[in-house]
Amino acid sequence: MSATDIVGIAVTTFILGSIYGLVAIGMTLIYGTLRILDMSQGSMVMAGSFVGWGVLVIAGWNPIVAILLAFAATFVLGTFTQLVSVQPLMKRRNAIDFEMITFITTFAVAIVFTNVALEIFGPQQRNVTFVIAGGINVYHGVNLPYQSLAMAVVSIVLMAGLGVFLARTRWGMAIRAVAQDLDAARLMGVPVGKLYPLTMGLASALAGIAGVFLGGLFFASPQAGDQPLLIALIVVIFGGLGSLPGTVYAAYAIGFIQATAEVLVGTTWALPILYGVILLVLIIRPQGLMGKPSEARL
Amino acid sequence: MSTPILAVSDLWAGYGDTPVIRGLGVTVEPGEVAVIIGPNGHGKTTLLRTVSGLLKPTRGEVLLDGQPTAGRTPEYISGLGLVHVPQGDGLFAEMTVEENLLMGAFPASSWRGRRRALARAYELFPGVRDRSGQRARTLSGGERRLTALARGLMRQSRIMLIDEPSLGLAPVAIDTVYGVIGELKSASTTILLVEENFTHVGGIADTVHIVEMGVIVRSGSFDELSRDPTVVGTYLGSL
Repeated sequence: MSATDIVGIAVTTFILGSIYGLVAIGMTLIYGTLRILDMSQGSMVMAGSFVGWGVLVIAGWNPIVAILLAFAATFVLGTFTQLVSVQPLMKRRNAIDFEMITFITTFAVAIVFTNVALEIFGPQQRNVTFVIAGGINVYHGVNLPYQSLAMAVVSIVLMAGLGVFLARTRWGMAIRAVAQDLDAARLMGVPVGKLYPLTMGLASALAGIAGVFLGGLFFASPQAGDQPLLIALIVVIFGGLGSLPGTVYAAYAIGFIQATAEVLVGTTWALPILYGVILLVLIIRPQGLMGKPSEARL
Repeated sequence: MSTPILAVSDLWAGYGDTPVIRGLGVTVEPGEVAVIIGPNGHGKTTLLRTVSGLLKPTRGEVLLDGQPTAGRTPEYISGLGLVHVPQGDGLFAEMTVEENLLMGAFPASSWRGRRRALARAYELFPGVRDRSGQRARTLSGGERRLTALARGLMRQSRIMLIDEPSLGLAPVAIDTVYGVIGELKSASTTILLVEENFTHVGGIADTVHIVEMGVIVRSGSFDELSRDPTVVGTYLGSL
C-alpha cells in the first residue's frame, strides 16, 4: 500500500463518513425518541435530491438555496409522514409489535413517495451539477474536490448543530427527556403530540440535505433513496440503535471500510467486504458499537 | 368558602378491567397539606397518576381550580399548575441534575425565569447543587428524591402531588426530605402527599385521609386520627 493509497483512503473516509452520518443521524434521532425504524428516511434523501436538481439545474440558483429549500421541503414531508403513518399508532407504542408495524407503515409511505416521484419526474436519472468547481490536490494524484469538501463540512456542521440543539435548547432537551422517560416528560408539560411529528420532521430535513449532496455525487431519481436507506439502516444498527455518537462513529467506520476495500481490492468487492465486516462485528457485538439499554438513549 | 385547589369526586380508575380507585372523593384547600395514608395496593399512586393525567379515569370528576381536568393529557394538566413528583422520581437518567431541573421549567412562562428558579432551588437544596453536573443515574436514592422535589419547584405551581417521599430511603435521608417538605409547607405550598403510614407526616399534615380498597374511609386532622386507637392499631403501623 502506497502513501497515495493511504491519503486516498483518508479523503474518501472523510467524505463518505460525513455524508453517511448525515443520512443516518436522523434515523437514530427518530429511533431514540419514537422507538421506530423510519423506513421513509430514504424518500427524504430522494426528495432532497430532486430539490437539488430543481434548484441547481432547472432554476440555476445557489447551492445554499438548495440546502435551505431541501430542509424546508423534507421537514414538511417528514412531519406529514409521522402524522399519517406513526401518530395514529402511538396509542400502541408499548405493544410488542409496535416497531414492526411502524416499520411497515413508514415503508408503505416511502413506496407511495417513490411512485409519486416516478409519476412526476419519470424514471430517468438526472445529474445534479454543483456550481463549486475545482479542488485541492491533497497529495500526488489524490484530489479533494471543493464540492465534496463543502458537502463533508456542511454535514459535520449539521451533525454538530444537532448535538448542540439537543444538549442546550429547550426543545432539544425536551426531545431527550421524552426519549428517556415519556411519562416524566409529559409531567413537565412537554407536548408529545407536537414533539413527535416535529422530531421526525427535523430528522427528515437532515436526510433531505444529505439528498442534495448525494444527488450531486450520484443522481436524482425516484430510486435515489434506496441505497442511502440501506446504508442508514446499517449505520444505525452498527452504531448501536439510538446512540447519536455511535451513529457518527459507525458512519466513519463504514466509510473507512468501504474506502479501504475500494482502494485495496477494487470497487467490485468493496460492498461484499463491507457487509462481511459488519456481519462479523454484529456477531461479536450484537448491540452495535455503542448500543445501550432501552432506557438510556439519546 | 373559597374554591378548593383540587376537588376529586366519585373517581374510578385502574389498570385494564380492574378498578383500583373505586368512587374516591377528596378535596385540597389552598395552602393545605393533605396526606393520604393507606396500605400498598389500595390506590394511592393510582389516585395521583389519575389526577395528573397519566392515567385516564373511567368515571368521575377532577376539578383543578374549578376547571374539569379528568381525561385531559398530563401536559395540559401540568400547564394548569399541577406538579407531580412521581413514584420512582421520574428523573431523566442520562441528563445531568441541572438539565433535570431545567426540564422542570419547561413551560414557556417558566423557561424565561429558569436561571432565577435554578438559583432558588439550589439555595433550598445545597446537596442538589453539589451534584448539578452529574448524570441523574449516578445519584443515591436520597439525592434522587431531593432532585425530583427541586425540579418540582422550578415553576410556579398551584398544587404539588408527592408520591411516598420516604419510600426506599435511609432514615437520615427521610429526615432531609421531610425537612424540605416542611419548608414548602411554611411557604404555603398546597400539597397532596401520599404515604404508607403516619411515621413521618406528623409535622406537616393539616388533614389526613385514610384510603382503603380505593375509597377514603376516614378523614380528619392528624391529631384526631393519630390518637384514634382503631385507626392506629388497624392500619397505620408505628408512630
